[in-house]
Amino acid sequence: MKLSDIMGHANLSFYAEVAMVIFLIVFLTVAVRLFLPSRQQALRDAARLPLDDEPTIAAAPRKD
Amino acid sequence: MSATVLPSSGAAVASGRLESFTYDDDIVRKFLWATFVWGLVGMLVGLIIALQLANPIFNTSLEWLSFGRLRPLHTNAVIFAFAGNAFFTGAYYSTQRLLKARMFSDFLSKFHFWGWQAIIVAAAVTLPLGFTQAKEYAELEWPIDIAIAVVWVAFGVNFVGTMIRRRERHLYVALWFYIASIVTVAILHIFNNLSIPAGMFKSYSIYAGVQDAFMQWWYGHNAVAFFLTTPFLGLMYYFMPKAADGPVFSYKLSILHFWSLVFLYIWAGPHHLHYTALPEWASTVGMLFSVMLWAPSWGGMINGLLTLRGAWHKVAEDPILKFFVVAITAYGMSTFEGPLLSIKSVNALAHYTDWIIAHVHTGALGWNGFLTFGMVYWLLPRLFQTPVYSKRLMELHFWIASFGILLYVVAIYSAGVTQGLMWRAFDVTGRLAYPDFVETVVRLLPMYWLRVAGGTMYIVGMLLFGWNILMTWRRRPAAYEVPVVTAPALEKRYVPEPAYPAGVKAPTSLWGRFASATWHRTWERMPITFTVLTVLAVVVASLFEILPTFLIKSNVPTIASVKPYTPLELAGRDMYIAEGCFNCHSQMVRPFRHETERFGEYSKPGESVYEHPFLWGSRRIGPDLARVGGKYPHLWHVRHFNEPTSITARSIMPAYPHFLTKTINFEEIQSRVDAMAMLGVPYGDAVNRAPEMARAQAAEIAAEIERQGGPAGLSDKQIVAMVAYMQRLGMDIKTPAATVGVAR
Repeated sequence: MKLSDIMGHANLSFYAEVAMVIFLIVFLTVAVRLFLPSRQQALRDAARLPLDDEPTIAAAPRKD
Repeated sequence: MSATVLPSSGAAVASGRLESFTYDDDIVRKFLWATFVWGLVGMLVGLIIALQLANPIFNTSLEWLSFGRLRPLHTNAVIFAFAGNAFFTGAYYSTQRLLKARMFSDFLSKFHFWGWQAIIVAAAVTLPLGFTQAKEYAELEWPIDIAIAVVWVAFGVNFVGTMIRRRERHLYVALWFYIASIVTVAILHIFNNLSIPAGMFKSYSIYAGVQDAFMQWWYGHNAVAFFLTTPFLGLMYYFMPKAADGPVFSYKLSILHFWSLVFLYIWAGPHHLHYTALPEWASTVGMLFSVMLWAPSWGGMINGLLTLRGAWHKVAEDPILKFFVVAITAYGMSTFEGPLLSIKSVNALAHYTDWIIAHVHTGALGWNGFLTFGMVYWLLPRLFQTPVYSKRLMELHFWIASFGILLYVVAIYSAGVTQGLMWRAFDVTGRLAYPDFVETVVRLLPMYWLRVAGGTMYIVGMLLFGWNILMTWRRRPAAYEVPVVTAPALEKRYVPEPAYPAGVKAPTSLWGRFASATWHRTWERMPITFTVLTVLAVVVASLFEILPTFLIKSNVPTIASVKPYTPLELAGRDMYIAEGCFNCHSQMVRPFRHETERFGEYSKPGESVYEHPFLWGSRRIGPDLARVGGKYPHLWHVRHFNEPTSITARSIMPAYPHFLTKTINFEEIQSRVDAMAMLGVPYGDAVNRAPEMARAQAAEIAAEIERQGGPAGLSDKQIVAMVAYMQRLGMDIKTPAATVGVAR
């Protein structure tokens, strides 16, 4: 008996459905967490990270 | 030298002592130059192959410059060399700043840079020489694949090391996109390239047929997702707010964008195999997840565009914003088209046609190209510490490249739909309206010339880009100013024990730091957890999709009459692979009446159980070859390879006269057969005397060619191996013993 015979009869499709439900729960948790009032200030700060990360260097293109 | 204190968000500001450090911008400048140079090379090769399709004389008489060999060079160069270097440019610049830390190791940064460029050079040499694995965007042979894995791991270590030493608690969303890209590309690359070497530059995929196709397009689609999409989304989320001078429209949306892409993208690959011999459930899963991708992709696009809220008036004056706006719009267009093309009924028309080529060029030229141009123009004054040479040239670049894209995409989109409709057209008597395949090709030639024009415009834009970079670089200061940045150290969750007794100096070398194992303590920190979670999401999804075809027998019913190729046929098949024939010829007849009428019986999964690698193809510039065996006499093939237009007057196929003069290396065939036998192909007696068997079959074929009135003395020439392979294709299921069963 080969591995593929065992796997073929093991009816594993159930596990794929479990995995999908777990994925969905993780995703919903992420989504819900995003809207918690306690997280709002942190998210606003995070959004500004790329703007606060270096001193401004004069970058105006030369007039020509 | 100037010291600047950077604000740090959240709680980290209060505690922690101030630390001074500098950023490594030298590595960013290196990658920036590489981006331009390889971009230009990749696009010029693209122009050459566009010309070859418009008129076959551009194939020249040099065998290593024919379309089949150059097309993989074009795709690899623009994806891994141009877009790859562009990603590294932006990633090295933004990562250091977002983490408020210099890269973990300057040595690893340099190793990454020079290693990557060496790999590109190796690709540029080996692909025209015909060394290829025949898997799209994974053509490079095994020694180069190993080098890619090593360099990529070095990049990964450098990246994670920088995260561990960061001075900013929160990882900005751009970094998430980088992490997902780095880990997923590593997984994809390793698993798709597993193969058994049969020589220094020859290997056979360990997977065969349906399973190989599945692995390849799991890889292929995710190469698009995790090499051309997520890294560039990371760049978008960093550089777009910079250029617009305001935070991203919705940070929440960017987080949802990230997690939805990570969860969905990995499943989408099978949409490249609709109506092929892939099990239908897999194809349906691929379609469903692709359609779901509409939501996050468009959410992300809108998030990018709305970042310009209140700054739209700047777009008119600022060419950088113009580039970004078109890039994000192109992202929206190609991610609208992608799910559309993944719907089976749409795919039935579009698959194997130029529609797919138009789709990828919207993405590559518009999204990847324009985002790169905008990013580089934004970086130029900062990296070279002098204003950009000419804003007017930037504007000109923008307009000429935009019109170039339009011309290219509209022409090739029309070509795709035209050819797709011609293939499936029947006349009133119920026969194919265009039975002669070449008719459906010749009709496209005007559009191919328009593509040449559009591509040329894009390349002219690229030259203006290069000129602007060069002239800005020439005005750089004598020595770059390296600002010393100061930021508070991140508060630790726990205080580590002193790593070294008093008086013992801490090691500073890379190996010393590694061996001291102090890095181990920081492993529990967030970035690692995050990376592990991302890997988990990608791996679990992949396993659930891929494993059933390997482990559940009913997915690939075998056919008793399907036998391995003879040693000579295998040698012919290796030539077919080396010449890149699969770039233009599919070997997969779909179960549609217009296909079975044109080519013959539709392809079954059991037919390709010995196909290491699978050669189903993805584009039909020439006719499908799955049923070509026995269709024409040997001499037809000899004359056709020697001069295709002598058989089909308007053929655009390159000529292969060297097949008639170059000799077969019979001794080499043994190692090929042995490698195949190692993969479980039942070669029987051939593992002992492959060269002998090949010589015998070659003599037979050569005699038959001579009997049909062809040239004499071909028995040791490559053409006989090629003829042997051509005449074998599709023959196994034509034998009377053909029965479908599940036993193997």
